[in-house]
Amino acid sequence: MHEMECRVLSIQSHVVRGYVGNKSASFPLQVLGFEVDSINSVQFSNHTGYSHWKGQVLTADELHVLYEGIKLNNVHHYDYVLTGYTRDTSFLEMVVDIIQELKRPPLSHPYLTPYVPQNLHPVYKNKVVPVADIITPNQFEAELLTGKNISTEKDAVEVMDLLHKMGPDTVVITSSDLPSRLGDRFLVSLGSQRTMMPDGTKSTQRVRMEIPKVDAVFVGTGDLFAAMLLAWTHHYPNDLKTACEKTFSVMHHVIQRTISYAHELAGPGRRPSPPQLELRMVQSKADIEDPAIVMEATVLTL
Amino acid sequence: MHEMECRVLSIQSHVVRGYVGNKSASFPLQVLGFEVDSINSVQFSNHTGYSHWKGQVLTADELHVLYEGIKLNNVHHYDYVLTGYTRDTSFLEMVVDIIQELKRANPNLVYVCDPVLGDHGSMYVPQNLHPVYKNKVVPVADIITPNQFEVMDLLHKMGPDTVVITSSDLPSRLGDRFLVSLGSQRTSKWRVRMEIPKVDAVFVGTGDLFAAMLLAWTHHYPNDLKTACEKTFSVMHHVIQRTISYAHELAGPGRRPSPPQLELRMVQSKADIEDPAIVMEATVLTL
Repeated sequence: MHEMECRVLSIQSHVVRGYVGNKSASFPLQVLGFEVDSINSVQFSNHTGYSHWKGQVLTADELHVLYEGIKLNNVHHYDYVLTGYTRDTSFLEMVVDIIQELKRPPLSHPYLTPYVPQNLHPVYKNKVVPVADIITPNQFEAELLTGKNISTEKDAVEVMDLLHKMGPDTVVITSSDLPSRLGDRFLVSLGSQRTMMPDGTKSTQRVRMEIPKVDAVFVGTGDLFAAMLLAWTHHYPNDLKTACEKTFSVMHHVIQRTISYAHELAGPGRRPSPPQLELRMVQSKADIEDPAIVMEATVLTL
Repeated sequence: MHEMECRVLSIQSHVVRGYVGNKSASFPLQVLGFEVDSINSVQFSNHTGYSHWKGQVLTADELHVLYEGIKLNNVHHYDYVLTGYTRDTSFLEMVVDIIQELKRANPNLVYVCDPVLGDHGSMYVPQNLHPVYKNKVVPVADIITPNQFEVMDLLHKMGPDTVVITSSDLPSRLGDRFLVSLGSQRTSKWRVRMEIPKVDAVFVGTGDLFAAMLLAWTHHYPNDLKTACEKTFSVMHHVIQRTISYAHELAGPGRRPSPPQLELRMVQSKADIEDPAIVMEATVLTL
């Protein structure tokens, strides 16, 4: 059997308990056969949505030291880089330096960054996004990055085109408040992928999905989403429709399992707590390996 | 379907690349459905068998801070604790304090300890760890996985009900291409012996994987050390065979594989981890 050989460098948070950052990304990628090298940007007891959290952060220098170790052994060869939420500008700048070094020709390494922090640093816009190949902002982040509002689907398409110009060939707006054709219990997600045709022209595939809303606050879902989009665009590099259907479907399965379990734990009439809402990651292994498609992406013709 | 609800706290090393410590233990346990909370005692670029390695260590205080975070949220409830290679006495003592507290919270907690001290007659941790293991760690352990060097028959007397000597230089009945492993469980009175094929390579992370898998299989076969050992040693065999084949492929004919090439083929072994085909039989020893 031909084995997949695909190595991801993931630079994200580590929590002792729960599923955010590297904890959210590593297991599902490994289940899908990816080799995952992980640099933990922080080590916290749990995510910051709990009543309490404690831990330590990695400095930009310490990040550099770890990367140096990998480089000295000449094993700094990756097919993908994945990064997540970062609060520290100098850390982010070190991440960008590392990625630029990893991206040097002859191989071009796809770089995914899940989202842009609310307190937007110029670093993200001017340095990170230009070296990214796949980004997964929500509507607010997409608007911030481009300086353009999204009120209609047409606006969203224009924003995604602007984002393409900034660097990434694949953009997924993970959620928006555009009205869904299925009613107000659904939200709208959009994706756009620009590919080079054999004749040198660029072709863009755009898709739209209606995603059922869930009445709960999840943490780690964005990290899982980015990891799964990495996996499914890897398997379907020229088919954003299928990659999105797989990705959003696995999210749906994990979230449904999580919310059922959380309600069971909390008891009738009670809102589940953050510990109770931790993603049911290991229990979702079968869905991660082979997600049943439960939502269809519409290809937009413009 | 009844879902397994079993939470492990694993306090081990983290390497960016490769499979030792928590990297070796977490994925296979998660594949088998265990929830794994992991405290990384160090973060290194890779294991120390490579030409180069760099990184940072966690102090005993920092370990305590992380544990405090878990405790403040009242989620410090574990079914298992797993520890491995440690170089620092104060860190190890903090680990013992944490385990004692966790055992008060859950008296049924099972502490699985790989008492990493050395092999083949020489120690590879500081000498001052030996008394900490002997006097403080082993007495609170429930399952330990020493090699022949590390074991004393005293170990059962010191606390743990289950002891597996992972490798020894006792002569094998199958010849010198095999080594002997032994397992003993005091309450159930199981004593088993296995002949394990030797592999001509140095692996790193296999001890960590072994301890994690022994945790898993004694969990599923709590009164059947024979089956638990057969499953555990079999999965080790599959992972190691896959790894050595791949390493030789990478290295090329006539060349010894390097440490990076010898990293365990962990994610590629998922199917074997989930359901290991039994490839070796444990002999039950009657005393």
